[in-house]
Amino acid sequence: MTEPSEITSALAVIDATLAGEAVEPEYAELAELSLILAATGEAPSPEFAAELDRRVERRFAPVPAGGTGQDQRDSRGRRSRWAWLFAPGAAAVGVAAIIALVVVFSGGSARNQPLVNDISSGAASRAPSAAQSSTSAASSPGSPSSTASTPSRSITPAARAGRLGLFSGGAGDASAPNTAPSPATSGRQIVQSAQLSLSTPPARIDDVAQQVFDVVAAQNGVVENSNVTSTAPYGNAQFSLSVPSANLSRTLNSLSQLHGAHVVSRSDATQDITGQVGGAGRRLAEDRALRTSLLRQLAAATTTTAVNSLKAQIRDVDASINRDLSALRTLQRKVAYSQISVTINSVALPVHPVTHGGGFTLSRALHDAGRVLVVAAGVGLIVLAALVPLGLVVALGLWLAAALRRRRREQVLDLL
Amino acid sequence: MNRPLIRSQVVIDSQTVAGAAQAPSSWEGLEELYRSSRDDVYAYVFTLLRERAAAEDVTAQAFERAYRRRRTFDRRRGEERAWLFGIARNAALDELRRRRRHASLLTEPEDVDRATADEGLEVALRRTTVREALSRLPAREREVVALKFHAGLSNGELARVLGIGESAAGTMLYRAMEKLRKACHD
Repeated sequence: MTEPSEITSALAVIDATLAGEAVEPEYAELAELSLILAATGEAPSPEFAAELDRRVERRFAPVPAGGTGQDQRDSRGRRSRWAWLFAPGAAAVGVAAIIALVVVFSGGSARNQPLVNDISSGAASRAPSAAQSSTSAASSPGSPSSTASTPSRSITPAARAGRLGLFSGGAGDASAPNTAPSPATSGRQIVQSAQLSLSTPPARIDDVAQQVFDVVAAQNGVVENSNVTSTAPYGNAQFSLSVPSANLSRTLNSLSQLHGAHVVSRSDATQDITGQVGGAGRRLAEDRALRTSLLRQLAAATTTTAVNSLKAQIRDVDASINRDLSALRTLQRKVAYSQISVTINSVALPVHPVTHGGGFTLSRALHDAGRVLVVAAGVGLIVLAALVPLGLVVALGLWLAAALRRRRREQVLDLL
Repeated sequence: MNRPLIRSQVVIDSQTVAGAAQAPSSWEGLEELYRSSRDDVYAYVFTLLRERAAAEDVTAQAFERAYRRRRTFDRRRGEERAWLFGIARNAALDELRRRRRHASLLTEPEDVDRATADEGLEVALRRTTVREALSRLPAREREVVALKFHAGLSNGELARVLGIGESAAGTMLYRAMEKLRKACHD
């Protein structure tokens, strides 16, 4: 086993000898060997040295006749080696760029799609509910079915807003109808009803409920029953309102414009009960005529039996008249007062997508420019995300190729 | 043609001058490096290949590669001579691989043992002995000796060219010298 100090000393002697310095006598043999080795180096022939000098002088410019075959082989080998190394990398980068562009553009439209779907599906989900409420109102036992002459109408502002790609706001809701549809009466007996569904942030449900009470009082209406539940973070309220039919339109307008509330759906229904009112009036008139006739017969009656029989008939007619009067008053009340069902749900209000009308303004231009920059940054990020791993793989490949090349070069020394 | 014994001293001096001059990344720097290293590169390559024509081709190729890659030179990774001999080594190893692939002439070492008239017999005899011992060394050790004594590299430069640690390079050189010394005695 050789001591490290011995190696260090020997190396120092070699360096000193090559530098022309004197060495200790004990290392004379090593110094002599070093000098002989330094002198055994083969010198190039003068012809080769002159030729190489000329090539260096012209900076290895290619010889017009085609240069040496070795030069050309070397150059070709170098080019093909680089091509072999970089061709897959370049192809991978190209494919990655194409994929990134496809992902960005398809992803961008895909991201936009749900927004449209959300809006339209929201509208679609609300529209059936509005239609359902209209149908159920028409088919409920307490509500006579609509006649063909006065079909029920269902208006869903949210559905309309969905088709337009925006949601209506609460106060100043441009898409909510300003006037409730009212049938032309012209002597007809019309029963009107409406259902209104509102949404509001959970924190405002009490405030909105109070506004409903205020509106009803202002329109001389009556809150037949109400139920307000406010439990954080949710809440809801239901109202059954009865308002003079003459004030129905104004009441609905006011309810549609409550501060902090948002109209989700609204449906109006009408029913022509002219026939029912007329029938009840005719029956009343007939009963009254019958009573008058019975009273005349009673006045002319001479026997106790006849008197008792007539009195019994008059009592029956009186009862019938009372029923007719009651039915007629009920019908008249239905005509005079309209029923409104109001439902308030506290939900998080949807974010209103920014929409632009026509025209060009500086703020819109800045907004669009910002969007372009954001999209460009996104594209850059995606491309970077795709290229960084590819770059790492290519770098690893290059490193492995270099290591393999070096190893193969080294192996040849072991084979000699 | 053999050179005088003081060649390495001359090489070291010229190397010092070259080191203080321009880097090979400029054409002038590379020309200076060529002037100071041409014979050393040839001697090193010849020791590896042991064939004059191949050594000439590889030497020319090494300088041409150095010329084309002169802008990749980075002094932080080593001196210019280490960089140049690294290129020459790769070119020589490529030539050896090419020879093996083509299964062609692994030629016998040329008879370069031509004593000059003014050399004494004893000196010529010693040189012949050392050459024969050197030719019997394994290729790796022969290369280390060539880089040290023919190329005139320091131990640090030698290590960088071989891609190993400096102490490992020193140990390899020491072992090669020991083998040579024993072979000369035998």
